[in-house]
Amino acid sequence: MDFNEKRIPIIKIRDYLIVSIQVDMHDRLALQLQTQILEEIYRTGSKGVLIDISTLEMVDSFIGRVLSGMASMAAIMDAAVVIVGMQPAVAITLVELGLEMPGVDTALNMELGMEMLEKRLNKA
Amino acid sequence: MLEIVSDKSWELLEKCPILNEYDIVKARQIVREFAKKEGMGIVDQTRITTAVSELFRNMFSYASGGEVLIEKGIIEEKPTLIITCIDKGPGIDNIELAMTDGYTSGGGMGYGLPGAKRLVDRFEISSELNKGTTVRVMKWK
Amino acid sequence: MEANTEIKNAKARIEHIEDVLSSVAAGELELRIESDIEDDLTGVEQAINLLIDDLTHELKKSLKMKQEMEEKLHKIQDQQKTILQQQEDLMELSSPVSKVWDNILILPVIGTLDSQRTQIMMENLLQKIVTTGCTTAILDITGVPTVDTQVANHLLKTVTAARLLGAECIVSGISPAIAQTIVHLGINLSQILTKATLQDAMIYSMKKNEQLVDGKVKTNYVDLDDN
Repeated sequence: MDFNEKRIPIIKIRDYLIVSIQVDMHDRLALQLQTQILEEIYRTGSKGVLIDISTLEMVDSFIGRVLSGMASMAAIMDAAVVIVGMQPAVAITLVELGLEMPGVDTALNMELGMEMLEKRLNKA
Repeated sequence: MLEIVSDKSWELLEKCPILNEYDIVKARQIVREFAKKEGMGIVDQTRITTAVSELFRNMFSYASGGEVLIEKGIIEEKPTLIITCIDKGPGIDNIELAMTDGYTSGGGMGYGLPGAKRLVDRFEISSELNKGTTVRVMKWK
Repeated sequence: MEANTEIKNAKARIEHIEDVLSSVAAGELELRIESDIEDDLTGVEQAINLLIDDLTHELKKSLKMKQEMEEKLHKIQDQQKTILQQQEDLMELSSPVSKVWDNILILPVIGTLDSQRTQIMMENLLQKIVTTGCTTAILDITGVPTVDTQVANHLLKTVTAARLLGAECIVSGISPAIAQTIVHLGINLSQILTKATLQDAMIYSMKKNEQLVDGKVKTNYVDLDDN
C-alpha cells in the first residue's frame, strides 16, 4: 500500500479554492495539504477556500489542529477558510476531545459555504 | 514489565504494529471495523477511533512506535472492545501532568491523553521511566 | 430337584427385576416386570411396577412443568425486549425535531433530562440539521423543570457541535430555577445564545435569515414547493 501516491486535488473556481478531503489522512499528508493550499492561495490570489470534509469519518486532535491552523494562516494571507460538511459524529467527538475550533468558519454544505464566502467578500 | 495484563476470557481480535504514520491510519481503520462489527453506533465508532488515533500517534511520536492489541470481552456485563497500546519508549515522568488538558511535552496541543480518556468508557495507564508505557482503553456497546 | 428349579426360577426373575430397574434408571420408562407365576415374589414385582408407574407419572409432570417454565421465561424475555425497544422508541419520540420555517428547526424539550436522553437528543438534532440543511436550531427548554451539571454540559456540547457543523443553536425558555442552578453550579453559558421565549428565539432567527424585515414576514422566502 503506497499512501504517498494520494495527493489531494485543489480545484480553483473563480475566486475560490475548493478542496475535498476523501481519504483518511495520515499526519504527513495533512501537513502536506496545508502547505499545498497556502501555496495555491499565494499563487492564484484566491480570496477564499472551501474545505469539504463530509466524507471524513474521523478528525482527531492532529487533523483538527491542521485545519484550524490552516484557517489562521490563510487569514494572515487575506483569504477566508470555511470548513464544510462536518459529520455530526465527528463534531460531537471533536467537542468531547476538547477541540472546539474557535475562530474557524463552518458551513453545512458547499452551497452555504460559498454563500458565506461571497457575503464576506462583498462586505470587504 | 508493566502491570496491565489481559483477562483470560478476552478474545484477541488483532495485533497491529505501529512503526510509521501509515500504520496509525491502518490500525485506526481496523479498530473502527471491529467497533462496527460489535454493533456500536456511529458516534461511539467515531469516539473510539479518534481516541485510539491519539494513542497511536503518541506511541509513534514519543516512543517511535510499539504494538497494539485489539481484544474483545465482557466488562460490566457489556460486550466491550479493549485496545491496549504497548511501547518501549522513554516512559512518562508525571502521569498526572500528562493527563492534564493543554499540557504537552512534544509540541502538540496537549489534548491527546486527556481527550482520549473523555472519549472512552474506561482508561488505564501505566508507565515506567526508560522502560515504556502501556495504555488500555475500553469502549462498550 | 423341585426346590432347585424354584431357586433357579427365582434367580431368573430377580435378574429380570434388576434388568428392568437398571433400564428404568437409564430412562426407559416403558418397561415393566412381566411374570406368569404367582407367588410371594409377585407382590414385590407388582410393587416395583407401581413404583415405576408413579415415577413415570411424576417425571412426565415435572417435564411438562419445565416446559411451561421455559415458555414463561421466553415470554418474559420477549416482553423485556419489547420494553427495551419501547424505551428506546419513547426516547426518540420525546425529542421530536421539526422544521417550522424555512431554515429553522425547533426541538421542544419536555420533562426531566438525564444524561442518556440528552445525548440521544443531541445526536438527533445534529443529524436533522445535516439532513435538512437548516442553519438555525432552537432548543426550547420551557418544559424542563431542572438541569444538573451533566445535562447543562450536554447542552453546551450540542451548541458547540452544531457550530462545528455550520449551524447556530439558540436556547430558549430558561426558567428562573434553571438559571439559578446554572449560575450556582458555575457553568458558563456565555457562549450560548439564549432567548427568553420561543417567540423571541423565532423572531431572532427570522430576522437573522432576513425572513422578517421591519416586523413583516417576507413570504417570498418561504418555498411552498418545499416538502
